[in-house]
Amino acid sequence: MSFAPRPSVQPWARVNKSRKSQIFLASVLPLTLSALIVFFTGLDQNLALVGVFLPLQLVAASLVGFLAFGRRGVGDSFLIVLVVFLSTFVLVLLVSVIVSLVSQGAKAFSWTFLSQNNIYVANTTSLDFGGVGHAVIGTLMIVGLTTIVTVPLGLAMAVYLTQSQSKTKGLVRTLTQAISGLPSVVAGLFIMSLALTLGWERSGLLGSMALLPLMLPTVARVAEEALRLVPVDLRYAALALGAPNYRAFFQVILPAAKSGLVTAILLGVARIIGETAPLLLTVPINNGTSWNIFSGNMMTLPAYIYGYLASVFEPSQNRAWGAALVLMILVALLFGATRLLSRSKSLKSKPTKQKASK
Amino acid sequence: MNSLTKASTLSSENISVWFGQRQVLSDVNLVFPANKVTALIGPSGCGKSTFIRTLNRMHELIPGAGLAGSVYLDGEDIYGEEFDAVSVRIKIGMVFQKPNPFPTMTIRDNILSGLRLSGRKIESADEVVETSLRRASIWNEVKDRLNDQAISLSGGQQQRLCIARSLAMNPQVLLMDEPCSALDPGSTRRIEETIKELSSSMTIVIVTHNMQQAQRVSDQTAFFLADDNTPGGVVEFGATEQIFNGPVDQRTNDYVNGHFG
Repeated sequence: MSFAPRPSVQPWARVNKSRKSQIFLASVLPLTLSALIVFFTGLDQNLALVGVFLPLQLVAASLVGFLAFGRRGVGDSFLIVLVVFLSTFVLVLLVSVIVSLVSQGAKAFSWTFLSQNNIYVANTTSLDFGGVGHAVIGTLMIVGLTTIVTVPLGLAMAVYLTQSQSKTKGLVRTLTQAISGLPSVVAGLFIMSLALTLGWERSGLLGSMALLPLMLPTVARVAEEALRLVPVDLRYAALALGAPNYRAFFQVILPAAKSGLVTAILLGVARIIGETAPLLLTVPINNGTSWNIFSGNMMTLPAYIYGYLASVFEPSQNRAWGAALVLMILVALLFGATRLLSRSKSLKSKPTKQKASK
Repeated sequence: MNSLTKASTLSSENISVWFGQRQVLSDVNLVFPANKVTALIGPSGCGKSTFIRTLNRMHELIPGAGLAGSVYLDGEDIYGEEFDAVSVRIKIGMVFQKPNPFPTMTIRDNILSGLRLSGRKIESADEVVETSLRRASIWNEVKDRLNDQAISLSGGQQQRLCIARSLAMNPQVLLMDEPCSALDPGSTRRIEETIKELSSSMTIVIVTHNMQQAQRVSDQTAFFLADDNTPGGVVEFGATEQIFNGPVDQRTNDYVNGHFG
């Protein structure tokens, strides 16, 4: 058998001319019609989008669907229009959040803003001075400490929930789910009242403690799902080769679930990195840089944003937007780096000389 | 690999199995002599796979599993106090119905995984890899791609890789639970050839739904059957020749001739 050149058109994608014009009309007419209605009646645009355009488009698409495939075509085209409309809606929401964050945050964004702290900065101080350096340090340290403590705990819980045959599993799973519904402000209040009762000084450490119950259920549950997805065949294969349980877990199950476990950690970090209420209650804020998480004041990015967002002064508002942008970039960097790290390891075992035949 | 360990005789005595309160196997007495291939045949749900799992203590991993009776490996009870499940499984290897290579490992690492997982020292890794792959007759196909991921192989190759993985442990007995059920005729033929070659150095027990396969590869055959609402058991056990050409029991005759099942 010999190779043939790939045909440019896939046979299933061929559409005849009259259908092409039908599709063209069905995609253009509803939009023009709704535009005209808005223009002449002065109907609210958003209302027209949902109340005029969407129904018109659904009718038009259903009509074309009916002409092409009969009744089953109606359902298909109905669904396609809804899916495209709603996903565009969500996409617009998402993109507009990012665009406004970038455009507003860019005003404050500079190396100075990233590296300096907030000492000697008043509400009206120009953006040439001061920044979020201290808040970045605070956020990284507090979230970092929470992560260091929570990840082993959460993974251990996931292992317990998937690998053991204990009878208290159901109780543990229910409690974990219950904690995941805990309002973050309650977690903060709990730690604050604990500190007041015991006479502890408020510090970054307390902030980490308040974030722990928020992160733990996310890590535990996502990690549990990741471990559950590893086929039981693999565990049996390992055990049938004479592996003790712990080696089967560490050498076979854990590597197979690795990317899912990384996701669990990332989602956990994402859950807490923007938390504001618990930190406001437990961590005294600060304008200077502090590297000491165990005592004294400490600034975090959410607290910084909260502090400046309601200000009437423009430079302060810009600072809040800038800090929000920094927070988003921080999360993006964190996620990117972790994904890259967890991927490159699995690539390493692939051959360097030969092409992997797939 | 230096010297191949000797094949062993495996025997089961009054094996009965329960899942929860339900008994699924009753009083199975079979002897698997050294260097012989024994086929376990019978309709689905008669307990063949369950039985083969009692032979290397994989059965106890299923929640709610119960067991009575003994399994002897060269006269020693593998459920006795001197044995633990891990050392039993090192001596008695197993190949599963579905190919299950470790997806995170390369072909080479899959072969060595048994040694690593059981905490043994690997002295001459390359030799172990080559010998095991050769014995599973897959060496020629994979020798140039040992560092590829195991899941890049085809289904038939994956199953032979799993056989090679078991062979790297140099087991005295190899249990195979329908090893060819997911494979094409070509792969099946190669695995059958492998089984014949392997029987010179180990004892083999194979569960199969394929009558021709049982006739081709086995020296002796056990026919399992579970009547409605009764636990499964062995109806007839003997030389393969006899089971297929002159069975004593009418039910065996019906089954091997395709009258039911």
